[in-house]
Amino acid sequence: MAGYYKMNIMKNKILIAFFLLFNTAANAQLTTNLVLNARPPATLTEWSLIRGTITYVISNLQSGPRKAKIKVTIKATDGTEVSTTDLNRARTIIIPDGNSILNAATVFPLEIQRFTGKYQNSLNRTGKLPADSYQFCVELVEEASFAPLAPPQCRSFSVAGLQLPILMMPANEQGLDIKKAQTAIMFRWTPLVPKPSTVVNYRLQVFEILSNQQPVQALRSNQPILDKIIIGQTQFIWQPQGILGFEMEKSQDSLIQRKGWDGTIKGTGKRFIWTIQTLDAVQNPIGIDANYEGRSEPIWFSIN
Amino acid sequence: MVEKLFSHTYTLNPYTYTINLLSTNKIHNIYTTIKLTNMKRLLFIILSLAFFQGYAQKKKPVSISGSAGITYEGYGLSRNPTGFTGYQPRRPWNQVRFNFMPTIKFSQHFSLPMNFNFAAFPTNFAGPYAGIKKQNIGQLLTNPMNNFGLNPTYKWAEFQLGTQYLKYSDLSTGDIGIFGAGFSLKPGDYRFKFFTGTSQQGLDYAATPLPGIPGAYKRTHYMFSIGKERENDYLVAFNFAKGKDNPSSALIPVLPGSPLPQEGFTLSMQVNKDFKKGWYIKSEGANSIFTKNENDTANPTMKGFKPFIEAKMSSVSDYAAQLSFGKKSKNFDIGLGTKYLGAGFQVTGYPYMQPDRFEYTLNTRFNAMKNKTNVVASIGQRINNVNNSSIRAKQFIGNLNWFTQFNDKFSLNVNFNNFGFNTAGNTTLGYPSIKNVSNDIGVNPTYTWSNKTMSNTLSFSYNYSNYTETFSLPTPGTQQNNTHTALLSYIPVYFNKKISPDFSALYFYNDASLAKITFATLSAGLAVPVAKDKLKLRGQLQYTLGKLNSFTPNNNFIASCNVDYKLNKKLTWTNYLTTNYYKYGNELGTTLTGANYLESTVRTGLQVRF
Repeated sequence: MAGYYKMNIMKNKILIAFFLLFNTAANAQLTTNLVLNARPPATLTEWSLIRGTITYVISNLQSGPRKAKIKVTIKATDGTEVSTTDLNRARTIIIPDGNSILNAATVFPLEIQRFTGKYQNSLNRTGKLPADSYQFCVELVEEASFAPLAPPQCRSFSVAGLQLPILMMPANEQGLDIKKAQTAIMFRWTPLVPKPSTVVNYRLQVFEILSNQQPVQALRSNQPILDKIIIGQTQFIWQPQGILGFEMEKSQDSLIQRKGWDGTIKGTGKRFIWTIQTLDAVQNPIGIDANYEGRSEPIWFSIN
Repeated sequence: MVEKLFSHTYTLNPYTYTINLLSTNKIHNIYTTIKLTNMKRLLFIILSLAFFQGYAQKKKPVSISGSAGITYEGYGLSRNPTGFTGYQPRRPWNQVRFNFMPTIKFSQHFSLPMNFNFAAFPTNFAGPYAGIKKQNIGQLLTNPMNNFGLNPTYKWAEFQLGTQYLKYSDLSTGDIGIFGAGFSLKPGDYRFKFFTGTSQQGLDYAATPLPGIPGAYKRTHYMFSIGKERENDYLVAFNFAKGKDNPSSALIPVLPGSPLPQEGFTLSMQVNKDFKKGWYIKSEGANSIFTKNENDTANPTMKGFKPFIEAKMSSVSDYAAQLSFGKKSKNFDIGLGTKYLGAGFQVTGYPYMQPDRFEYTLNTRFNAMKNKTNVVASIGQRINNVNNSSIRAKQFIGNLNWFTQFNDKFSLNVNFNNFGFNTAGNTTLGYPSIKNVSNDIGVNPTYTWSNKTMSNTLSFSYNYSNYTETFSLPTPGTQQNNTHTALLSYIPVYFNKKISPDFSALYFYNDASLAKITFATLSAGLAVPVAKDKLKLRGQLQYTLGKLNSFTPNNNFIASCNVDYKLNKKLTWTNYLTTNYYKYGNELGTTLTGANYLESTVRTGLQVRF
């Protein structure tokens, strides 16, 4: 996931450098700047895990440290309040002389944010805000009176949860004719949605389901017999080259293989499970599944 | 230059039997020592089973049945020119697998099925043990590649010990192997199930050696089900499933994409009912609470499900449901199935389940013309973005398979598959629209004729596949992909001879804007039993000529054979050998023109059935 946001991080670094340079000549006692990823992760708890989602720079030009609290307000595009910081519970930060750079974990701790009505419901059900555009404002306030210490900094962002690809062909539990499959098997899947502006790599993996293995067990334990990265495309033609066995192969092994783990017949030939792992431009998983592997729900097919 | 694939050196001493397996591939050179004390033990068990069975037969009612075996698999890959990495190994260089699956029946009511399946070397590439090379005993027992299960059963009571893959329901738990203990009790119509155990041990993060180990936290599962069931009548059940990671069980730095300690709890209710004349209804509703990071603070705005789970800041709680109903009969089936998974529905028992979708499918099957025509069809749609947390996308899926046996000699199979994917995108948020449509149609006539000595089957198959991708960004465009596949196969069957040959020819052509791919394949197989059917030989030769765009052709030759020798009524020695030679044309560039590889697999094993 990190690589997915690396371009934004680079942009952020340049902006921060400009800001720090600018502030050396500023007169204000406390000045701030905010750099926000315009397309942060949809799951809000991931903001603190992804470097560069929020960068808040404070310059304290007076002598001696200052105490303050950070107030964050999120608004929808129509001005409706989505969330605001519970300042009574907000942690007091000490701002030392010079420049301080704060990240999402300090600026936007979720446990002290109060979300309104439907947004709180959405967060509780999905961990995400509804797909839309929002305005994110950060303000430095006095620790006791909550009076502003510096003007609020506001930036816009939009969120839309990514949908991992869904495997389409071969379909789940589909039986393929071995005479055709031994020359070529066509794999097709749906694209990552919404399509990011950067390159998406689809890692296609096929695992043989050995005798007495369940499909997901094979995926989690076997070496893949196909491990191929396809850039941007949503189909691949695979030449199995002898890996499927052959029609007359009815050895003791393949006899067992025709039975499922529970003893029921699952197909007349070898079985294979396949999945797509969605990777960003630098081959990091786009980790929006529970396993942070960016792996689509696998399905299996058999060779008849 | 073709390198020597592998060599074996055997050393024997009174206590251990060591195999030195050397693969000459420089990157993956493995020097492996297998202390075959375990192998000796297994062989002892296999051989003693025959004796035990004889003993068991005399001392009725104890009986034993099942199978056991040991299999060695060796893999070799040599690539030319030296340093060519265009083809990667796809099997472990060496692997030894054991299976031991007897069922001991002590009486009519008391049996002891065992399921021991395990391998000598871990080969995990996905999941919690990805990248593991050395495993401790706990990791070995819970590694998904190994099964160590015992299921002693007395009347309606089954005790589940060791590795178990238990499916309670479609929405609670079912995909995960757990090493632990539990039971399934079925007194009368009542059902009580409980199981607890570990699906994965803690595994520390390691950056090196590449590709590294992402690490995993020890995960403990608890599952419980209570219900009432009468077969072919009804089922009512409540299922509870919980999985919890131990945050202190592994050292894993907080890096983007690193595993986090998770916890999940799911409650589901199933109601199934079978009615007269084949009508049925099946339903399940579920609620899950899933915490993505146990280290988070408590979430005061969300109700947890104490004492089973406490809501944390990264917790999500959502619902799922499925309903299907229809009618089944000998010549006619029809059914409608629907499934809803909320965007926050996550369960530890199905780790790869993709949430945030609603789907429905209408299925039918019928026989007509005195069962000479069989039709299977389905049509459905899948919609994501149930909670408006993402961009909506729709998929349409339709399948039809029509088979008709016109007479004793001629049959015809026609199939049609369609799927469409459509997302309108969101111009405000700057996301493009995408539309993909796949249409596949296949026609497969088969003609059979025979005389006094043999029958002949000639089968032809033609498939046409069209895949169209339409997108709006970065510039509006459409990509077309058309595939044609034609296959002709001939299978003679001799009435007075034991040989069974088969022949086939295949032509494949894929036409896409940047890739025109052609394959032409010829293959022939032969099966023949010899030595009074004790030795069964089967083999196949396959040659494929492949061509990409205007590059010179690639050549692929594959030879495979099985040799199974029946040592006695119960013991079979199985052997499988295959070799795959591939030579590229000039598609890889001038420096790699003629690059080639030779890939071989040998598998040999002893299997006893008793």
